[in-house]
Amino acid sequence: MWSRKSALLGSLAVSMYLMGLTLRNSQLVTVAVVIFVFLTYAALFSGHADVAASGRRMDEWMGEEGVALSNVSAMRKLSTARVFEDGEVEITLRMQNHSALPKILEVRDRVPEVMRIKQGANYILMELGPRRETFIEYTVECPLRGFYSVGPVAVRVQDTFGMFHKEKELHVYDDFLVFPKMEDLKDTFVKSKVPKIFTGAVNIRQPGPGSEFYSLREYFDGDSFRSINWNAYARSGKLMVNERERDAVSDIILIVDSRAIAETGPVSRNALVYSTRAAASLARFFLSRRDSVGLIVYGDEVVSVDRDTGKKQLYVILTKLAGAMARGNTPLQVVVNRILPHINRGSPIIVMSNLEQDPTIVNALRDFRARNFDVTVLSPSSLEFEFDARRIDRTGFEVMKTERDILISELRGMGVNIMDWEPDMLLSTALAGARGF
Amino acid sequence: MAAAPPPMARKQSRSDTSHLYDGKVVRSAAPSRKKAAGKMKSGTEVPDDAVPEVHIPGFIEALLGGPVVPKHKFLPADRMVQTLQLGAYAMLISLGVITWIVTPPQGTFWFWIFGSVGGATLLQSMVILSATGTGFWGTMSRDPRWLLASYFLFILAAMRFASSKVALSNDWFDLQQNPWLETALIVIYAVLLVMYFELTNGVIRFSMLDTSIRTNEVYVMNVKRIISKYHRSLMINPAIAGALAASVLSINTIIPAVVNLFSSETAVRMEESVELISVYGVAMGSLFVFLMVGLMFAVNLPLRMQKWRENRNT
Repeated sequence: MWSRKSALLGSLAVSMYLMGLTLRNSQLVTVAVVIFVFLTYAALFSGHADVAASGRRMDEWMGEEGVALSNVSAMRKLSTARVFEDGEVEITLRMQNHSALPKILEVRDRVPEVMRIKQGANYILMELGPRRETFIEYTVECPLRGFYSVGPVAVRVQDTFGMFHKEKELHVYDDFLVFPKMEDLKDTFVKSKVPKIFTGAVNIRQPGPGSEFYSLREYFDGDSFRSINWNAYARSGKLMVNERERDAVSDIILIVDSRAIAETGPVSRNALVYSTRAAASLARFFLSRRDSVGLIVYGDEVVSVDRDTGKKQLYVILTKLAGAMARGNTPLQVVVNRILPHINRGSPIIVMSNLEQDPTIVNALRDFRARNFDVTVLSPSSLEFEFDARRIDRTGFEVMKTERDILISELRGMGVNIMDWEPDMLLSTALAGARGF
Repeated sequence: MAAAPPPMARKQSRSDTSHLYDGKVVRSAAPSRKKAAGKMKSGTEVPDDAVPEVHIPGFIEALLGGPVVPKHKFLPADRMVQTLQLGAYAMLISLGVITWIVTPPQGTFWFWIFGSVGGATLLQSMVILSATGTGFWGTMSRDPRWLLASYFLFILAAMRFASSKVALSNDWFDLQQNPWLETALIVIYAVLLVMYFELTNGVIRFSMLDTSIRTNEVYVMNVKRIISKYHRSLMINPAIAGALAASVLSINTIIPAVVNLFSSETAVRMEESVELISVYGVAMGSLFVFLMVGLMFAVNLPLRMQKWRENRNT
């Protein structure tokens, strides 16, 4: 390909040549000749021959990249295929020159736009000797969850004066997964009102809300007065409370709203980002408590992960959360109608949604409550994200905020534990707020 | 039995509830929201910064695929760039002097306008001086706009209606008595002009590269070998271009020499022919050269050469 420099020089040479003939000025013609020679020399010895636009025979056609790049190959290795948000991936690119000629190559390994180069560089200018190889190492930081692909490798060769160049894309791709970041939750105050009953129930041996006595401990601020063991107080003179063994394993259902509206706000601060992080944190917390956790992500379709326990289930859930795309506008009622027959009555349900543009929300949550499900709604406020990003003005914000407050009050009136989750609030704080603590 | 309240608490008035908040963090709203709300206007117009800045390229930019003159901010020049700058200064001085010699005021636009040699000489000298000055400033400040102005002025100085024969403004070395030296001077002038274009362009290119390296945007392996290749090209390319240009300018000698093999009388007539000595002879020479080059490309010589070089010793 001609560069802008060569195109300009070529045009200048043609004009000077013609002007020289018109003005009978041999100096102009001589300058034009020298420029032409420069261009021809660069085209001849720059490692390609694209100036010969015609006359190329089909059997000699080496593809778009020309001869110079046909002997260059690339391979890539990633340090990990799975990483959490804000984690780092080390990438090693191996470039090989199979030809007998040394080459000056410009190599750019394409990384997704949201990634940040932490160390090293993905854009390299190198002189690669004949039949040599080299390793390029760099580290990327992954700030946002998702499925990502590194590649292709764009290679460019050009003459020393930068007049002609040829490019080739080496289609080497490597995929990796960025899981949503997780927050450490100490206690979520979420419990099942109806213990899950199945044969061979797991003996949990953990303190928590339940009916069986587990142990006695000192009273701390915030403990319920009903749990004070007055006999122990009389004996020891210190306030003591009864701890109970946590009831059998619960089914926890996490519902994540990934409709198109959930991505309203900046890329790194929107309802979907917060919802996926919350769902990941809650899944880890409940699974570590040996509860069984199911996940439903709804956007343009309803994607569900069936309830299960264990570490494997956590990775299944994290993978689904990493791939959650803001698309479609499936109403919550559709989700409720679909899952209601399949979940145990009384199971805690945690919905993460910004509650916007869904007229079925009130009815859907009423259906849950009518069947005595313990419903918690964490609602990251898209309004706050938009307002913080200064995309809506104050009047509009106040009006919409009032509408949102009315909706939240209505849901609260139905017995839904709901929290208007502000952007700077920790998940544990939001959960505590939702449960009224 | 409940303990009696401390005396301090009794003294507090009933309306003072600050003690309820001791040791607690009270949140009313996200700090950023409050801060933003204080700054926001109450109007409903879309804030300026909410609209992303989109640069719409003009016609020329769209044609060229980018800005005509890129406005880069470079870091201080490194050794390589400084060397190129020194080379460009040397080239500029030589080019200024030779341009002044090979472009006499006769035949220039200002000679045609003023009709006097004095005024035309003054203006021609000023154009060449300005070309040199802007070139100096452009190279020193690494600003392509000044360099473009310098290129334009040098070309403007060469734009003159010349007679068939080469004329010199000052023939200090009695070159007009020796046509070979005269031809050499014109070739040197042409090569210097093109080398000046290339060197100053190199200053900008390598400044960009150096800035990219130092800001970690690009990593360069084997910098010395890349630079040495560039230096080598700076030697070889002008030598070849000069030799070819000299052969083009010597067409009035080469063609009669070839014809002399068949007919000496015709060869003598050709040597004295005005057409071959004039610019049309040069044009014919260049036509021959480029027919040869065209032939090389037509038989796919570059591709064949490249394939041969690539697969050598395999």
